[in-house]
Amino acid sequence: MKKTTLTCAALLLSATAYAADPGVSDTEIKIGDVNIMTGPAAFVGKGFSIGTKIAAGEINAAGGINGRKIVVITEDDGYVPARSFQALTKLLEVDKIFALNGTSGTANVLAMMPLITENNLPTIVTQAPAALVYTPVRPSVFTFGASYEDAFYAQLKYIHDNLAAKDAVYGIIRQDDDFGKEVEAGFDRAVKEFGVTAPVRVRFKKGTNNFSAEMAQMKQAGVTVLANGGIFAGAANILSEARKLDMNIQSAGVWSEGIPASAALSAPAGYNFLVGDYVSLVGPANDKFKLLAKKYASDEEIAAISRYTYVSYIGLKTMAEAMRLCGKDLTRACTIEKLKGLKNFDTGGLSAPVSFDNPKQLSGTSVGVYQYDAKERTFKALADFKQY
Amino acid sequence: MRTGHFKESPSQLIALSDSKVVWGWVGGLLCLMLAMPYLVGVYGLTLVVSALIAVIGAVALNMLTGQTGLISLGQAGFLAVGAYANAILLTDYAWPVWLTLPAAGLTSAAISILVGVPSLRLKGLYLAITTLAFSFIINHVILYAEALTHGPNGVFVKGARMFGFDVQKGLPLYYLALALTVATVLAGLNLSRTRIGRAWLAIRDHDIAARVMGIDLVRYKLLAFAISSFFVGIAGALMSLQIRFVNVDVFALILSIEALAIIILGGLGSVAGAVLGAVFLSFLPEGLRLFFALVADPNSTFYTNYVYEIRGIAYGAVIVFALRFKPEGLIGIWRDARKYWSNWPLAY
Repeated sequence: MKKTTLTCAALLLSATAYAADPGVSDTEIKIGDVNIMTGPAAFVGKGFSIGTKIAAGEINAAGGINGRKIVVITEDDGYVPARSFQALTKLLEVDKIFALNGTSGTANVLAMMPLITENNLPTIVTQAPAALVYTPVRPSVFTFGASYEDAFYAQLKYIHDNLAAKDAVYGIIRQDDDFGKEVEAGFDRAVKEFGVTAPVRVRFKKGTNNFSAEMAQMKQAGVTVLANGGIFAGAANILSEARKLDMNIQSAGVWSEGIPASAALSAPAGYNFLVGDYVSLVGPANDKFKLLAKKYASDEEIAAISRYTYVSYIGLKTMAEAMRLCGKDLTRACTIEKLKGLKNFDTGGLSAPVSFDNPKQLSGTSVGVYQYDAKERTFKALADFKQY
Repeated sequence: MRTGHFKESPSQLIALSDSKVVWGWVGGLLCLMLAMPYLVGVYGLTLVVSALIAVIGAVALNMLTGQTGLISLGQAGFLAVGAYANAILLTDYAWPVWLTLPAAGLTSAAISILVGVPSLRLKGLYLAITTLAFSFIINHVILYAEALTHGPNGVFVKGARMFGFDVQKGLPLYYLALALTVATVLAGLNLSRTRIGRAWLAIRDHDIAARVMGIDLVRYKLLAFAISSFFVGIAGALMSLQIRFVNVDVFALILSIEALAIIILGGLGSVAGAVLGAVFLSFLPEGLRLFFALVADPNSTFYTNYVYEIRGIAYGAVIVFALRFKPEGLIGIWRDARKYWSNWPLAY
């Protein structure tokens, strides 16, 4: 009798624990994605959602996670932090998601952070791997990606070791925000370590598109190695101004310039600029991924594949692996535990292997260096993934 | 049936409304608002709180733009000042929230005086550009005064407790937002019937004529800025309590544009219009989402591929059509409906 009672109590407790975690049924697991689906930066969210779709398609075609299919629910935040907060509230309260894979920009993920921690929501941040996301460490938040500091340091090191003249003059142009500060940190580290001249540091406001005065300053200082902290049209305009001034420069850029559409904006300036990234932009892994994409994405979506597609794919595959390790009794606590213990999870060469078994719960910090061929409009790999 | 308005005593003159029916409706609405947390879920309540914050901001902007005729594109800046004042005083200085809220409003009001000074000589688009520049200055100060504002890193807002309740979420936040909204709406309605409110209307209609009538333009224009910004600051403080995080990206310029859209769509110069506009625009995206979820075929690849574009176009189209066919705004529709109801069955 006692044994039966204990068994019943244990069953009830386990049922309670099971019921306590929303988003999991016998047949499906709901994963949330808050992303930029409208507005000028919509191509980021769209590229991201394609990766999620491919990962979910691949996982579901292979039988799901211990028999449960993955269902991804995307909410648009338009890159507005207040809307990210509302979007996650909807995903948690209306859609009852189990975990979160898409987290939009840095300010957006920070605006969602109180909800993430309150709900102990397993979250993988792959889009905005800023230090503010993993400092302090939140138990349910795992960050995948290198810092802008490392990405710029890696590129400047490559330029210093392989491309620049001995008397090269370094200059930086960056946004006056947290992102810009990280870019400058990488620049500072490089300049200090290489012992080179760096007479110009220019800051500009987010959204600035005319850089004629700033680049004239660079030209006057004789800059030959440029840390270009502009993004999208901004980065292209900076290079375009440099071309107008007939500057002979080696340029290091932000990883968003690795997106084909973004790189195409910079192409007319004719500079073969560098990009540092924590996901692969070209190579056999990317070719293999595109073959896989043909099974689960439309031609239009395949044409829109970008680095954000790779990061979301890696994020969801990593989350799926942790959920798979939990077996049938899937809970948020178990998923977080398995993510914490994850070591060397293979991403098929799209990035360095994923390991969250470190105090910061941070992975993907190795950076590869790529160069854009402005004539051919293609990237080539210069340096393999490496920890800087 | 009522045939006219006859005021027989001073108390009737100063009453907000002499109609028992109106008070009945207001009472009913208040009861509904008090019961709201039990009628909608957590997500619904989040949307309602956001709408209440928008109502405070819209009523405040209506004082400045709708009633005084001073166009402002600096609302995002005033909102940021209020939000940051609340966040910093709560988090870094551990002030109680019942002090940080008025302090947020007062800080915003004090700073608005600086912006108000150029308004004494500027009007229309010139003033709009000046207030827009103010927003940029505020962003700049937030980014560079790191010792005070934490710079680009932003501030996580915590420790807001009132009467033992955490007023950053759930019911306590809702009732706090509701109380402040009711107070703001009452202030807006009462101010419009005082000497200050009438002076604002006179300035809006013709500032030179107003000055000839003895209205001190300096005083009343600055008052419009200060009072309006006080309430915008409170809205910012509430926003910081709800989101629990503030940084410069939260207060993008689009907020100023949306605030103007709200009062124009609601009906410029009317407190009720500002309320209607704020509620309408706050719930429009959710309404469209529900509408498309009902009518669209979930298996249609066209819909799934372009769902966000379709909703975005529908959002813009609703606003354009509303303004094209009802330029007096939502309050105009409400007045027409009321008139139709009062005169029925006679011809409208």
